[in-house]
Amino acid sequence: MPRLLSRRTFLLTGAALGGTALVAAIGGAGYLATVDVDGRDGFLDGDRAVLNAFVVLHDDGRVVVNVPKTEMGQGIHTGLAIVVAEELDIPFDDRISVVFPTDPHPAYSNWFNALQIRPEEAAGPVVWVGRRVLGQMGFIATGASGSTMGMWHPMRQAGASARHMLLAAAAARLGVPVAELATGDGFVRHAGSGQSLSYGELARAAALLPPPDDPVLKPRAEWRLIGRSQPRVDLPDKVRGAPVFGMDVMLPGMIHAAIRHAPVFGAEVASVANTAQVRAEPGVLDVAVINGRQVAVVAHSWWQAEQAASLLDIAWTQTGDEAANSAGMAARLQAALNNSEPHSHIDDGDAAEALGDAAATLVEAGYDVPFVTHACMEPVNATVIIRDDGTAEAWISTQSPMAVRSGVARGAGWAGVEPSSVTCNVTMNGGAFGRRSDQDVAAEAAFLAARHRGRPVKLIWSREEDIARGLYRSHAACRLRAALGPDGLPVAYDALVAAQSAFQSIGSRNLPFTPGPDGDILSVEGLDKLHYTIPNRRMRSIHVPSHMPIHFWRSNGFSFNTFFTESFIDECAQAAGADPLDYRRALLRDTPRHLAVLDRVADMAGWGSPMAPGRGRGIAIEECYRSVVAQVAEVTVAADGEITVDRVFCAVDVGMAINPDAVVAQMEGGILFGVTSALMSMITLDRGAVVESNFHDFPIQRLANAPAVKVALVDTGLPPCGAGEPGIVPVAAALANAIHAATGRRLRSLPLARTETIGERRTRSVLRDPAA
Amino acid sequence: MVEFVVNGRPVNVETDAAKPLLWILREDLGMSGPKYGCGVAQCGACRVLVNGVSRPSCVTYPGDVVGANIVTVEGLAAPDGSLSVIQQAWIDEQVPQCGFCQPGFLIAVTALLAEVPRPTDAQIDAAVTNICRCGTYPRIRRAIHRAAATLAQG
Repeated sequence: MPRLLSRRTFLLTGAALGGTALVAAIGGAGYLATVDVDGRDGFLDGDRAVLNAFVVLHDDGRVVVNVPKTEMGQGIHTGLAIVVAEELDIPFDDRISVVFPTDPHPAYSNWFNALQIRPEEAAGPVVWVGRRVLGQMGFIATGASGSTMGMWHPMRQAGASARHMLLAAAAARLGVPVAELATGDGFVRHAGSGQSLSYGELARAAALLPPPDDPVLKPRAEWRLIGRSQPRVDLPDKVRGAPVFGMDVMLPGMIHAAIRHAPVFGAEVASVANTAQVRAEPGVLDVAVINGRQVAVVAHSWWQAEQAASLLDIAWTQTGDEAANSAGMAARLQAALNNSEPHSHIDDGDAAEALGDAAATLVEAGYDVPFVTHACMEPVNATVIIRDDGTAEAWISTQSPMAVRSGVARGAGWAGVEPSSVTCNVTMNGGAFGRRSDQDVAAEAAFLAARHRGRPVKLIWSREEDIARGLYRSHAACRLRAALGPDGLPVAYDALVAAQSAFQSIGSRNLPFTPGPDGDILSVEGLDKLHYTIPNRRMRSIHVPSHMPIHFWRSNGFSFNTFFTESFIDECAQAAGADPLDYRRALLRDTPRHLAVLDRVADMAGWGSPMAPGRGRGIAIEECYRSVVAQVAEVTVAADGEITVDRVFCAVDVGMAINPDAVVAQMEGGILFGVTSALMSMITLDRGAVVESNFHDFPIQRLANAPAVKVALVDTGLPPCGAGEPGIVPVAAALANAIHAATGRRLRSLPLARTETIGERRTRSVLRDPAA
Repeated sequence: MVEFVVNGRPVNVETDAAKPLLWILREDLGMSGPKYGCGVAQCGACRVLVNGVSRPSCVTYPGDVVGANIVTVEGLAAPDGSLSVIQQAWIDEQVPQCGFCQPGFLIAVTALLAEVPRPTDAQIDAAVTNICRCGTYPRIRRAIHRAAATLAQG
């Protein structure tokens, strides 16, 4: 979502920029040289002393940190609370709690993801205007592994500013200069007199003092919290089973809705043959067609609604996609690779000429991946009320309150209702992986809420709707070519990928206009291999449309392109007769940061040590979200093709890790997510519709087949980089390369295996076509 | 109507005989700990203890639990609120990511350790078949062994 909207916001920013640049030119540009801090003023709100947009104190010493980022398991609430606690100079203990603020304050806008400029480096008119435009839009969203990069500096400033205000309040109270005061453990102390005042005692006075213009941040040498693992603030509730997720929301008078979407995407409701019958089922209050496209049943309980929905006899309109199937879809990708006019992203040097050099060794290979879906553990849901006074409020597991506000307004509009305001309560997300940045479920629930004014409506998609009628990562195919020089290293690299544009599909559902499909950067993430020293380089993409709704999916293009490219680099190494690690080391000779990460993972895995027959290890590396991640996978392949992933080693440079254990957890989780995807995940199409419907046919790794994972953090002195997605990125290629090492077979399609059921909730993975 | 005991509290619920226990707990008794994840006994997010046995409540029906003693994740902590040894191990190993599936894991592991105090990895694999999409399995395994060791020390 953030990246999509970045295009739009760039347009808006550009329009606003002209005017502001004119003002700046006339009025003097000095005030634009630095970026001021949004939301820095304090105020009193009942028993809360609001020091600024991020820090709220209570007189009993409790500290509430406003974190405008969705907690979906990545630990961001904890990470950003740590930086506030560090600057406030308080211990990281249970006096601290975190809330996602409902107020769409401009200070909470996700302008980092849109502008891709670190706040600590931001200055000048573009940022100044961009921040204001994005802030006014309520551009609040979580994604693209950008939360720490975008928020850690502003929240350090917020913590430091609050501490400064507390010191100033203490100085006034005690009648001593600030310079004689010190902070620690939630107190301001005056050594000369031995007096001390708690933050709680000072909070109300501090909130009314002017914030410092440029709060002094604690020097790195004095950090006690940042960089040292702290326990996650959200886990006690989660192990107690507290009602923290969107699905757990319970409100007085709440009614429940189940839904049916068209099997063939894009079809509309032609008719519902048995509305009266379903309406008469126990507990049913309403049977409603939503915007001509979905049918919902509203009842006193969700179970009743779902039971009744299963009886619906819906006829859908014909779209022309009723014959679409997986083989045909794959053929479309191949035809596009052969016949279409690609969009050029990179054309450095003369790759075509180098590839035509008769003296060079030509390596060429094609790869492909299927559609996949998110399958978050918490099925998609939303609770919305539209009150008689016209105000609307949503409680929802979402990555984007902006999308929710927009979706609620849109859905209510389908019922002819225009909410006077929309409040979005962001709950804990039971997994997200990009899925929860769409407006879809918020709009559907709002339509139903508009039909049942004054009552909260909770809409839950069944797991079957989630998997078979949901949103997908595009399938993709590519053709990679390299010309190897006399030393075996590539002189030229030529990459061509065919995939469906995520931007266009997302925009068509979520924006007032549909972006053009060409040059979709999500389609080429992981394809450029710029960190490899190669003199001639070409990178092109082709958009291949389909009726499938494409969406953000954890790591987007990296999830397929890094499989393609890092498999291909192994094929080049093989053609050159080189060891895959040595080959990459040679290609990374100009990028010491990458080399350090690669060497670290090779060392962890004991690269080069002998392995038993049937076992193999594979390596892969990628730069993504400003991080560098390398992995070595170890596999065992049995004679019948059964593949066991024994261990995965991971070295990653995410820059400075604020909460190192949370980064390790993200790598572990990303690796498991990636192993599932590489070995097991495939959405297939038959007669235009998705075949899979639940975890029996869209399987996920379980404890029994989960590999051991070892993670090392490499710190090369950079500021924080992205950590939520890198873990998944190299896994598929590392596995394919390990399978090649174990068997001599090069697998160029995902999933690498088929899943066989060997017992109740127990599966094994068997390489496809083991005899080949 | 069905009568049973949930987390020590006797309840009787007027319900359809076809309504799964999961939805009775969530909708009729207001307990959000057991989660809906699949509805077909695949993911385990809805697991509860029925007379000490870990059961997927999404395919457990009123007729299966007449007079039964049911424990949900909300019932694992002591009455004074202190966490069970297993819940504490989950904190100590910082297991949950999103956390949606973890109530089911905690129930499955509570049942396992009651039956097999020091399980091997193979016994864990056989007994704990829940799905975690975030991939917390390495920490779940560590937390099970940690909890087992703590319980063994009494």
